Amino acid sequence: MKKNKVLLIGWDAAEWKVIDDLIAKGLMPTMKKFLEQGVRGRIATLDPPLSPMLWTSIATGKRPQKHGILGFVEPDPKTEGIRPVSSKSRKVKALWNIFSQSDIKSNIIGWWPSNPVEPIKGAMVSNFYQQERKNKKTVDVDKWDMPEGTVHPEKWIGPLKDLRVHPLEITGNLIMPFIPRAAELKKKDDEAFTTIVRYLAHAASIHAASTELMLNEEWDFTAVYHDAIDHFSHAFMKYHPPKLEYIDQERYDMLKDAVTGAYRFHDMMLERLLNIVDDNTTVIICSDHGFHSDHLRPRMLPDVPSGPAIEHSPYGIFAIKGPGIKKNDSIYGSSILDIAPTVLSLFDLPIGKDMDGKALVNIYEESENKKIKYIDSWENVNGESCELSDDVKDDPIAEMAALEQLIDLGYIERPESNSVDYRDKVVRENKYYLAKSYACAGAYPQALEILEEIIIPETPDYRWVVESVNACIKIKDYKKGQSYLNMVKDKNLVSTSYLNVLDSKIELALNNPNKAIELLNKALEDFSDSAEINIELAKVFLSLRRFSNAEKIFNHVLKIDDTNAYAHHGLGLVYLRQNKLEEAIECFLESISLIYHYPYAHFHLGEALVLLGEYKSAESAFEQVVLMRPNIKKTYRWLHDIQDMLGNKQKKQAYKKILDKIIEGNFTVITGLPSKKLEELLQQLFKDEIISKNYSDKIISGYNFDFAGNFSSKNSIIFAPLSYLGSMPVTYDYKIIYIDETVENASQYINSKTNKLKKGFDIETNNILQKQQDDANLWINQQPDLDLYYLSSDKKINNIKKLII
Amino acid sequence: MKNTDTKILMNGKEFKVPPGGTLGVLALGSVGIRAWKRAKQEYMSKLKNKKNEEK
Repeated sequence: MKKNKVLLIGWDAAEWKVIDDLIAKGLMPTMKKFLEQGVRGRIATLDPPLSPMLWTSIATGKRPQKHGILGFVEPDPKTEGIRPVSSKSRKVKALWNIFSQSDIKSNIIGWWPSNPVEPIKGAMVSNFYQQERKNKKTVDVDKWDMPEGTVHPEKWIGPLKDLRVHPLEITGNLIMPFIPRAAELKKKDDEAFTTIVRYLAHAASIHAASTELMLNEEWDFTAVYHDAIDHFSHAFMKYHPPKLEYIDQERYDMLKDAVTGAYRFHDMMLERLLNIVDDNTTVIICSDHGFHSDHLRPRMLPDVPSGPAIEHSPYGIFAIKGPGIKKNDSIYGSSILDIAPTVLSLFDLPIGKDMDGKALVNIYEESENKKIKYIDSWENVNGESCELSDDVKDDPIAEMAALEQLIDLGYIERPESNSVDYRDKVVRENKYYLAKSYACAGAYPQALEILEEIIIPETPDYRWVVESVNACIKIKDYKKGQSYLNMVKDKNLVSTSYLNVLDSKIELALNNPNKAIELLNKALEDFSDSAEINIELAKVFLSLRRFSNAEKIFNHVLKIDDTNAYAHHGLGLVYLRQNKLEEAIECFLESISLIYHYPYAHFHLGEALVLLGEYKSAESAFEQVVLMRPNIKKTYRWLHDIQDMLGNKQKKQAYKKILDKIIEGNFTVITGLPSKKLEELLQQLFKDEIISKNYSDKIISGYNFDFAGNFSSKNSIIFAPLSYLGSMPVTYDYKIIYIDETVENASQYINSKTNKLKKGFDIETNNILQKQQDDANLWINQQPDLDLYYLSSDKKINNIKKLII
Repeated sequence: MKNTDTKILMNGKEFKVPPGGTLGVLALGSVGIRAWKRAKQEYMSKLKNKKNEEK
């Protein structure tokens, strides 16, 4: 019986937008066929989107804070200097170690980082294999040694050494598909020329080693990593069609085919790999992140370490085909962390519960029958995992060559003469990446702790301080956030406009929406067309229920860029909140068509569909939310309630079980500005014994009742003044009955109660009520799980009662 | 294009790899690289012989 095999192909920075365009033009025929035979999906990257960290996450299923690869370089424990990140720094088992323990043979080629090679069961070729530089210079073809620690086992050192392609071997006719008019370039001086010969040679070398091992080494799992698409994209995406207006026409004409050429060459290499494998092989193609290829291409790169990463887009590619895998289908909501668990599931091996990803069961034809096994951790499993021992030698020359490549690419700075200072700089930079990784996982306190450690108050790095401000907002430590903001201000770390945006975030978090509006408007004076600032402003207006302001701004953003999914979503919310359901649905669908992995767009689409009575479609929308963001409690409640409408008792029961697990209790909260209607409602509810206390006299009496005590009994109905909403415990689920009343009417009601009416219009009361209403609206808007009913004050009490009960 | 360990076959006939190489040959992987390196070597030695004869 033939064994199941898995081939994992990594294409750094591969982007669906480019691939789909080339497939449509008939330029990637192998990829087209591949997708027809399998499943495809967009795969979410991690932050920071730096390749060595990401490819290690792909190979381990774990975030950087667990696997230990943090950036491009790291301190060298043996010297005072630095070295490229290496396999020695990985703290956890990669797939190939797990497979070695499970008697599964692997071929691993070019993985970043994988130098020095590990003595695994199978063969390994490190990411130093294709490097042709020594002491900053390109060595001649006939003097081209292979660094120690590049190939395992030893028997492959000779044969694989001879299969490498040196950049000096790349001839004119090999360059022509990338630059048809290459002959016109001043070859040696032109960076375009050197980039192409170098990375084409690297790709050819890696591909030669992969095919050689796949043809001649017994294997169950092969993983091959190519970095050429990333390098070609950083060098040439700015020249890729459509032409950007600021790009020189002559240069565009010369270089517009380079990215296309790189993708076409990968399609050709893919064809070869698919010819080698048999029908029992499952093939996965993935990238670690995407690459902006449209109007989002940045014009300038920030002058900071890893600055070029700004060109990366947050979604990479994922495609899979093989026995038992669905055909011509799509999956949604996957992350690069899911690759390792999915590969383990293909071999029917258990997934470590300490892995951060999940097996993508939706890829299987019989996904409901696919049994996924689990163990606590592969780290505790004994047996020969073939990891590196501590005494493995380093090769400083090969490391220097790899460092030079990183300097060339702009990922790291050239080391200063004082290596101790530079090493300290690297340590701090890597800790910043670690902090970002924690923040990406929602672990803001840990992120902040690291940032506090690395920030030098006298000479702070603006990125670290800005990250601290954002972390402080997330953990609601506004005082500390303000102090970091002051540091940004005092040291002039960012432009005034950016400072205003940051400041507005704090003000908004402190429930000062009008101040936030003022700051965002100031920021817009310099950047009137900034989508980010405009959307922030529109969101504040939306939260204050100032719909016409919000609508105007969202439309302004869409006029500049009609592919902005966030603006479509925002506009949809404006319509949804005004009960314009069909317009809202149209906007949410447009938003989803632009970014499918957008849980809140699906969520609000679901809400609009429920309100329209389209329960089946609403169910599908909420099911997508569960896949993408399983921690939004309200999704399960919607799904539970929808089952009633659809008559699915079993499903209803299943969702009930989930709800019981995640929610401590439910409260129905009656709130609103003081009004006659609210008073009458509370009196009636008390009379009918629906509420246990007579709150009606508390409406304007300073609210001096035991508010917290209300939460001692579960599943009850309570009254909360608007100004108390923000203080409600977060562990409960709320249904808010909001009796809507104008500030003017509420003010009149208070005056009538307190005999102030005789004194005429009371501006002070008006201002207090307006602020209460604004604050409450803002709080409501910040709660993803709220079940909210705005009821106008002319609604009959009996109808309101029905809703409450 | 098909291949064996020593030859690249196209439509059943041996494909003569040009000494300058082609992307298609590089995309064949180890088999293509070997054939290309051999073609280059043969070309260079022919060139050398020709030069020697001219001398």
